[in-house]
Amino acid sequence: MNLIETPVADTATADTAVALAVRAFAETLADSAVFHRFEQANQQLRADSEAQAAMLAYQQKQQSLQALLMLNAVSPAERSELERLEEAFFNQPTVTALLEAQTELRAVCQTAAAILSERIELPFAAACGPGCAC
Amino acid sequence: MMNNNGTTPLPPKLATATANLAEALRAAPPLVTYRQAQADLAAEPAAQALLDRLLTNQNELRLKQMNGRITQADVDALRALQNEVQENATIMAYVMAQQDALAYLPEVNQSISEWLGIDFAALAGR
Repeated sequence: MNLIETPVADTATADTAVALAVRAFAETLADSAVFHRFEQANQQLRADSEAQAAMLAYQQKQQSLQALLMLNAVSPAERSELERLEEAFFNQPTVTALLEAQTELRAVCQTAAAILSERIELPFAAACGPGCAC
Repeated sequence: MMNNNGTTPLPPKLATATANLAEALRAAPPLVTYRQAQADLAAEPAAQALLDRLLTNQNELRLKQMNGRITQADVDALRALQNEVQENATIMAYVMAQQDALAYLPEVNQSISEWLGIDFAALAGR
């Protein structure tokens, strides 16, 4: 049984059609309000020196404790300090705004990926999961 | 606001672009071959039954392994089934076609992600 013939000439046409559709999809998503909000939130976080300092302090503390964290051997005082720095970072308004914008964008991407998966009869996002070439 | 199926509705332009991308992907050779192989497998009940037997056998063996009750006869039976599957042209064509189709999708995701500056599938998959 042969559902659809795909001669060599049609292969190039199909590739071009995919490339054009990919471009149109990406451009439309990049031009959407949800993506603009995400980009804006990203820029605001990058420009927020207080949030950047909070992120650096949290990351530095986390890195200094990395080995002990892996061994689950961090002292209560150090753990408490790490949690304080984490909270201080995640409570920054620009961080909260970025997380909200990311959640919103993620929901849109999930819907789009679900539509693609349903139509192509393969799990789009899962096929591109960890370990793939993306 | 969410759709009835729990997903976030897409803005109309994005819904159209997504539908167009889905159609273009469906027409891409690796996915055409995959659907062809899927249809061939569905049209061959004996091959499907063989595949079902292999999956059932693998699951049973996994349980036995967890309980430490696996025997050489179990392993031999699984190997015999695996050989039978590998000799079935329809199943192997399906497996290869699925592998090729799944290998094609990350390329598509990479193109989308390059345009956007974010990993689209990673964000969609979380």
